[in-house]
Amino acid sequence: MSEPRYKLHPISALINFLKGLKELILPFVIIFGANLFREDGISGMFNQGWQGLLPLLVGGVVLVFMLIAGIIKWKRFVYWFEDGELRIEYGLFVKKKRYIPFERIQSLNYIEGIFHRPLGLVKVKVETAGSGKAGQAEAELTAIYRAEADRIEQEMHMAKRGYAAQAETADEMLYGPVEAQPLREEVADEPARVLYRMSMKELLVLATTSGGIGVVISGVALFLSQFSELIPYDAIYEEVMLFMRFGYLVVALTVFAGLLLAWVISVAMTLIANYQFTIHADEERIYITRGLLEKKKVSVPFNRVQGIKMTQNPLRQLFGYVHVTVESAGGTLTDKDEKIRLFPLVKQEKMKPVLDELFPDFDWSPELTRLPKRSRPFFYRLSIVWFVPAFAALGYFFYPYGLWALAVIPVIVAMGLWQHRTAGYAISGRQLTAQFRGISLHRFYMLKKRIQVVAVTRTIFQRRRDVASVHATIKSGMLGATALVPNLSREDAEEILAWYEPSRQRQKVDHEQTKNPQPNEIG
Amino acid sequence: MNHQPKNRISRKGLTVWRLYGMIETVVVALLLAGVGTLTYFFDWPNWIYAAAGGLLVLFAFLFIYLFPKIRWERWRYEVRDQEIELQHGLFIVKRTLVPMVRVQHVDTEQGPILRKYDLSEISISTAATTHTIPALITEEADELRSRISVLARVAEDDV
Repeated sequence: MSEPRYKLHPISALINFLKGLKELILPFVIIFGANLFREDGISGMFNQGWQGLLPLLVGGVVLVFMLIAGIIKWKRFVYWFEDGELRIEYGLFVKKKRYIPFERIQSLNYIEGIFHRPLGLVKVKVETAGSGKAGQAEAELTAIYRAEADRIEQEMHMAKRGYAAQAETADEMLYGPVEAQPLREEVADEPARVLYRMSMKELLVLATTSGGIGVVISGVALFLSQFSELIPYDAIYEEVMLFMRFGYLVVALTVFAGLLLAWVISVAMTLIANYQFTIHADEERIYITRGLLEKKKVSVPFNRVQGIKMTQNPLRQLFGYVHVTVESAGGTLTDKDEKIRLFPLVKQEKMKPVLDELFPDFDWSPELTRLPKRSRPFFYRLSIVWFVPAFAALGYFFYPYGLWALAVIPVIVAMGLWQHRTAGYAISGRQLTAQFRGISLHRFYMLKKRIQVVAVTRTIFQRRRDVASVHATIKSGMLGATALVPNLSREDAEEILAWYEPSRQRQKVDHEQTKNPQPNEIG
Repeated sequence: MNHQPKNRISRKGLTVWRLYGMIETVVVALLLAGVGTLTYFFDWPNWIYAAAGGLLVLFAFLFIYLFPKIRWERWRYEVRDQEIELQHGLFIVKRTLVPMVRVQHVDTEQGPILRKYDLSEISISTAATTHTIPALITEEADELRSRISVLARVAEDDV
């Protein structure tokens, strides 16, 4: 055992304890909450002798047990480096060993919680391609010093250099060839460059225009539905009836105030989560750090990037702001929270140079081929048909006012025409760009070698009008993400298919080679 | 888009789909019988019987005769050296192109009904998607599976 063993910082015991506590909050609230609504309330618990105190006793024992468990977990946890592997030994009752070869490690993600920051500690999540459960890291080091985290990274770089050749063939089998990286060796130790730092203004715009308000409202609704049995609705109802007498204005104002509050909370949450959003990069990876109370650092290896997606909702489009995400393969990215947002929000002009630097292979503003005029009806006809039963019902039961529902039709048509105008595609060399609109505008940039499957769909009506929709799927997280170009003219759909089809491509290449024998220029 | 993939799935696949259609029809018939019983006991109007009967006939016609027929005629596939091409769909015709390089693994699978007809379905998985050819003669399916797995290993990426 020549290799030195390392332990976690003692604060991990506390963190383990608190984490266990967090899981117990709900049962505790239910136990004590239920007592609260009993006849004599909490005080009743103390009047009934030791039996009334039983819940408290059990709670106390559980607490002590959790504390001890937390300490033992910390005591038992060791990690060290051996044979190009990160080795971890841990376990409360059963001793477990986990050996992770360095070349399998996809990313080390750092998280700094409130307990970590004053002590200069980080929590390290080790992620590999085939991590078992979704959203769960392969290994987690609860709290170590910054320098120790850097040491792991160094060890990883050292080991990876030795294994680089093998690792690349493994990658190639899984995800297609890895780009040649001649600079890798020299640059490995160079500190990451800062490419972009989110300005306070952008952060504010992001927070105020994000849809986070929905999350807060649904959270409150969920909370209410969870505890609905404990809430004395009858009492509340009477209160409300009294309240109603104050008139609708007050009610409306209260509702408005409630929504406003929810909005303010959502703004605050977004601000805290994205505070000091920064993009760094070195030759191998992109690093994204963010967060005020809990500082998160996510890293994405360049060779895992499958495509780039830009999204603009109409409001942000008006002001020229874009939301950019990176679709990346593997890892624990199925977690929605962990989705790699390259730019949560950025002005279009500011984003271009950064993207150019990060992904020089891409053409960011290709000339889009638009849809033919004849495909316009496809964008609203079906939605109108879906609404017909609603129109009929409203018109019948609420005649004549129900007929106002028909006013929706122009809105649907206008939306459809807008979708028609937005959609388009471009093929530039090895890159496919697809643009389409739901309500927000989506634009996918992807390279041919990253596209897993291309499908063309046609309904009978589309066949009659000689149009077709094209779907291109890339790998994203554990699953796929599909880019859509709806209702293209058939020739254009055919062109995309021909561009993608390997054997037709090969014929073309062979043809060019005989004409102009310069194999380096192709591909 | 004018040329179609060459191969069709087995004719027996149509029989199997008709069988599935019959099973579904039996389930629907049971539900409708339930409605009929309720109508009888609660003296609901008589036209409900007629509607239920009509619905059953329509369902049987669509799911036993028409839909399997269209689906079977639509289903085409072709495995070439560099790619796999699939075409299927009842209302929406979908043409899918899977390059050999992207194929991760191929499975064949066979349920009790398929086994009875000596059929197998073959699933082709890429890193992001899975595509199934629903009814091939078992022998053919096995052969195709090994062919695809060989091709997938040999296929090289030129872009």
